[in-house]
Amino acid sequence: MAMIASADAPAGSRPSFRLSEATTGWLLLLPALALLLALTLYPVLYGAWLSLFAKHSFFPEQNWVGLGNYVYVVQDGEFWASVWRGTVYSVTTIALQIGLGVAAALVLNEMFPGRNILRAIVIFPYVVPTVVAVILWKWLLNSQFGLINYMLEDVGIVDRPISWMGRDWIMVSLILVSVWQFFPFVVIGVLARLQSIPNELYEAATVDGAGAWQRFRHVTLPQLKSVLFVIVLLRSIWMFTKFDTPWLMIQGGGAETYIRTLPVYTYMRTFALYEAGKGAAMAILMFLILAAASAIYFRVWKREENL
Amino acid sequence: MTRAGLLSPRNLALYLAALALLVFTTFPFLWMASTAFKVSNEIFATPPTLWPRSFTLANLERLFAETRFLTYFLNSLKVSLATVALTLLVSTPAAYSLTRYRFAGREAVAATVLFAYMFAPIMIIIPFYVMMRFVGLNNTHFGLVLAYSAFCLPFALWMLRTFFQSIPVDIEDAAMIDGASRRQVVRLIVLPLALPGVVATGIFTFILAWNDYIFARVLLSADELKTLPVGIADLYNASVVDWGMIMAAGLLVIAPVLAVFVFIQKYMVAGLASGGVKG
Repeated sequence: MAMIASADAPAGSRPSFRLSEATTGWLLLLPALALLLALTLYPVLYGAWLSLFAKHSFFPEQNWVGLGNYVYVVQDGEFWASVWRGTVYSVTTIALQIGLGVAAALVLNEMFPGRNILRAIVIFPYVVPTVVAVILWKWLLNSQFGLINYMLEDVGIVDRPISWMGRDWIMVSLILVSVWQFFPFVVIGVLARLQSIPNELYEAATVDGAGAWQRFRHVTLPQLKSVLFVIVLLRSIWMFTKFDTPWLMIQGGGAETYIRTLPVYTYMRTFALYEAGKGAAMAILMFLILAAASAIYFRVWKREENL
Repeated sequence: MTRAGLLSPRNLALYLAALALLVFTTFPFLWMASTAFKVSNEIFATPPTLWPRSFTLANLERLFAETRFLTYFLNSLKVSLATVALTLLVSTPAAYSLTRYRFAGREAVAATVLFAYMFAPIMIIIPFYVMMRFVGLNNTHFGLVLAYSAFCLPFALWMLRTFFQSIPVDIEDAAMIDGASRRQVVRLIVLPLALPGVVATGIFTFILAWNDYIFARVLLSADELKTLPVGIADLYNASVVDWGMIMAAGLLVIAPVLAVFVFIQKYMVAGLASGGVKG
């Protein structure tokens, strides 16, 4: 690149048909940028605009209501209930994903026969369609014929089949499926980081007499801090906005209201009650909640860093 | 690891943990496969059988004879491949531009891409749906391909940018000093070196498009246009759940993912670690 710049430097030496570096750069970028602006950023702004109208999801008519949709939504008890369910769902699944993901990454960082195959296999739940993850767990958790209830009864842990899709257990089932589906993301991130920790650090710690737990606590964990920061941030955003896993869990019979998280409620407002304006307002509020949470998260992180 | 250490308590614990991990991740799939090849009596039998005693292909046959599985499958294939083509076509030059050309606003563009990466489908699906209806692209595969490409673009750009950054600029400079044109450099040096990255990005894009539920659910209403995830969710919603058939369907849906997965798992890990695939 330096070479082009210097070759181009003498004025007039450049053939006239050659575009400047900046022009070429922008031209190569243009199609991607156009697609991104038209189909991601424009819809976000259009969604903010839509949220100011009473708008039916299918028919073109729309009536200006100003902040009316927002006033309605924040007074809607079900909205806050769905925010709460979504928060419970996100916090629990993220904690379990991190715990399980870090543990799995530590195992996969050790030497044992078949390690490379296992590293590949572990990623698999993360790359299959959600619908498959959900139906295969719904089959395992089936109250009448499911393998899990059979085993629990066989071992004698329960004496009556558990209704996994019923009101008392559906959140637990949803969390189980989600952790199974998404913990590989944590494994991949953490494993990549573990592999880049210099061995000398461990050797030095061992020489200083540190045991396995102390090495983990004082060498590994501090090194993982920054990658865990990013993983928690991304997973929080994606779990709080996760639609397909909870939505598909309630299909074909599930205690719907007990796992109606904010994304599910937003979807239902728009595509079951046909209130696109209110749905759009809820999507914007979802964005604002996440933005606020991320800002707080960054702050807390900064303070920790400075300590 | 020394020979004597092979069966030390520490290693036994390690093997046990690895085994638990293996069972946790693979058993649900094995159970799905086992159910897919059982006759219905055996599916509901107590005690359940781990290995199908009554090996049958009837579930698969029913899937093709009684449902539009094949149509959904072909729809998914068509939409996913078109998405890969469009995404790579626009993101490869863009990523090259972001790593090789210097111009004002370049960092702002990169920041915008990262910002767009954070958006979940549920946050844009409503305005997106209204827009697509307005321009008449709802209920078309083209509209769906546009949606997927826009959705995949941020991570594709981000991933390709990482790959291009890892190719030393010095090689290109040296070639140009030797008299090669920029076009020759791109064609003969950059693209071959970036190929693994481009392939990995394409595969991630394919998986995202292949797995998506919400865009297809919202944008498509005609049954003959439906993609696999929506088609299977609807099969499951039928009044009587045909578990054998559903499990057979699940098995066939993950087959292409499994196939590419085996070939490219080396890139998968590299790609995922550099921030590929959201969800």
